[in-house]
Amino acid sequence: MTESTKKTSRSKGQMIAIIIAALIAAIGIGLWAYQLSAGFVNTNMRNLDSWGLYIINFMWFVGLSAGGMIISSAPKVFGAKGFGGISKVAVWVSICCTVLAVAFVLVDLGGPQRVWHLFAYANMSSPLMWDIIVLTLYLIISIVYLWAVLRLEKGKGSAKALRVLSAIALICAVMVHTVTAWIFGLLQARALWYTALLGPWFVSSALVSGLALVLIVVVALRKAGYLELKQENIVKMAKFLGIFMAVDLYFFACDLLTSGFPGAEGATIVAMLTTGALAPFFWTEIILSIIVLFVAFVPTLRTTSLVVCASALAVLAILCKRIQLLVGGFQIPNISYPTVLTGPELSGGGSSLASLSSSLVYVPSPLEFGIVIGVLGLGALLLLLGIRLLPLKPAAEDN
Amino acid sequence: MAEKQYGLVVDTKRCVGCHSCSVACKIENNLSAGVIWNRILTNGGASMDSAKGTFPNLSKHYIPMICQHCANPACTKACPVGATYKDITTGAVRQDYDLCIGCRMCMAACPYTGVRSFNWEEPTYTMDFAVGDINVPKHQKHVVEKCTLCYHKLSKGEEPICIDACISGARVFGDLNDPDDKVVNLISKRKYIQLLPERGTNPSVYYLV
Repeated sequence: MTESTKKTSRSKGQMIAIIIAALIAAIGIGLWAYQLSAGFVNTNMRNLDSWGLYIINFMWFVGLSAGGMIISSAPKVFGAKGFGGISKVAVWVSICCTVLAVAFVLVDLGGPQRVWHLFAYANMSSPLMWDIIVLTLYLIISIVYLWAVLRLEKGKGSAKALRVLSAIALICAVMVHTVTAWIFGLLQARALWYTALLGPWFVSSALVSGLALVLIVVVALRKAGYLELKQENIVKMAKFLGIFMAVDLYFFACDLLTSGFPGAEGATIVAMLTTGALAPFFWTEIILSIIVLFVAFVPTLRTTSLVVCASALAVLAILCKRIQLLVGGFQIPNISYPTVLTGPELSGGGSSLASLSSSLVYVPSPLEFGIVIGVLGLGALLLLLGIRLLPLKPAAEDN
Repeated sequence: MAEKQYGLVVDTKRCVGCHSCSVACKIENNLSAGVIWNRILTNGGASMDSAKGTFPNLSKHYIPMICQHCANPACTKACPVGATYKDITTGAVRQDYDLCIGCRMCMAACPYTGVRSFNWEEPTYTMDFAVGDINVPKHQKHVVEKCTLCYHKLSKGEEPICIDACISGARVFGDLNDPDDKVVNLISKRKYIQLLPERGTNPSVYYLV
């Protein structure tokens, strides 16, 4: 194949991918309309497990949005050497993930037609309100930041201004994860969530999953011939991935010990995670994390394919953590007189809880999975459109 | 602090578990199918009214459970649009169905398991006409609701319907901020518990034990 036919076939492949992504997103919107008209009764959320797959995904995608922004802005702030020209793609990934996080909140709302109430009747004491403000700010700053980077490449704007913007973007990125954690961590009602560690822990999880996602995307783009990237940059990112993962596990260990040690209320939580209903997710997370650590820290294992595999495992490990956190928060009722838990109106659609903490209360319904896939389609669409339409390729001197 | 803090004192020694308050509440507030704001919990087995233990060592007691109308509610701080809020004149924790965006943050924030319910579908009713008080706000799909302390009656100076309905005089209603009120008198003389005091919400429902 000549260079030009290769290019047209790639462009054709891209077009097909964009059309498929758009179709999936459209089906998702259809399912969302169905959820609103036929009712949330078609999800498996109920009064005792009132948040589900959407909020799991919200937490997950806020975290995924971190990596791009942080690996792009942090080197600029500290005047360090970056990761080799991937920063624009990384920020675009970040922006897409932030949009998806907002979308997941939106599909979880019972009355999305009232979403303007958030601005008209804002209750500033609500951590959810804080998060909406910080997320909006983060989205705007990410877009401005990307714009400023592109402008600077054309020789306009000042490097100093970009550096200041990088610092603001970095602070904002850290705040987004902390404030998202506060939605859960400030609620004294849920023993699993109510811990001061939740904020820092969300930041570390975000760094793990966000960096891993960027690694996957840039290696895929390198393979597709979109950009060039030196192997040393991949190795550098893999090492950082290992460090972030180690910090995340360290926080988990600290939290488990603090919960479990007094042998009181917190011990129930530790039992739920390690041997109870959520044990599969807990142990999957631990095993995946350990594999990631090995790949990141053993030099001979840091091949491109293994690093990509480890990144995928890291993203999955963080998903397991989000599931434990969200489902686990609702799993242990504060008032455990049995009659609280009986009656179809209170617990899971079809999965009523026979005895306390004995089984998983919440398993998502097909509709919830469908809507999630639709939102993911929207994300793929945004990502592909950005790659196709925006000048995100590294400038020659970055390599 | 609210000027008044209306609340309930429930004498668990008098409660016979007849569920009259629960049924009266359901009718007065025209609650839709599957929704109960006022539930009678049993400390025994898995089903309603079951006793605890094995024969002959059996015991049974009831905890009538409603929104606790906390003096320091966790839910009102959490709501992003102020759809759940503390009424200044009565101390009742109210829900504004027209404001609620259905995010269910209040359900996550409330420590009292199961007092709030979300209308997961368009409300349906057993009767084909509305029952109860005409001033009760219309129930809506996809919003959170809970016990209003019969606000429609409070605002007319009347007591909540569950007080009238109790056959054994186990439920007493009054202003917890008024030192001369009968509820304050009761909790100063009798041993009582509040549910989940460690959460710091200072609930306005006191259980005499």
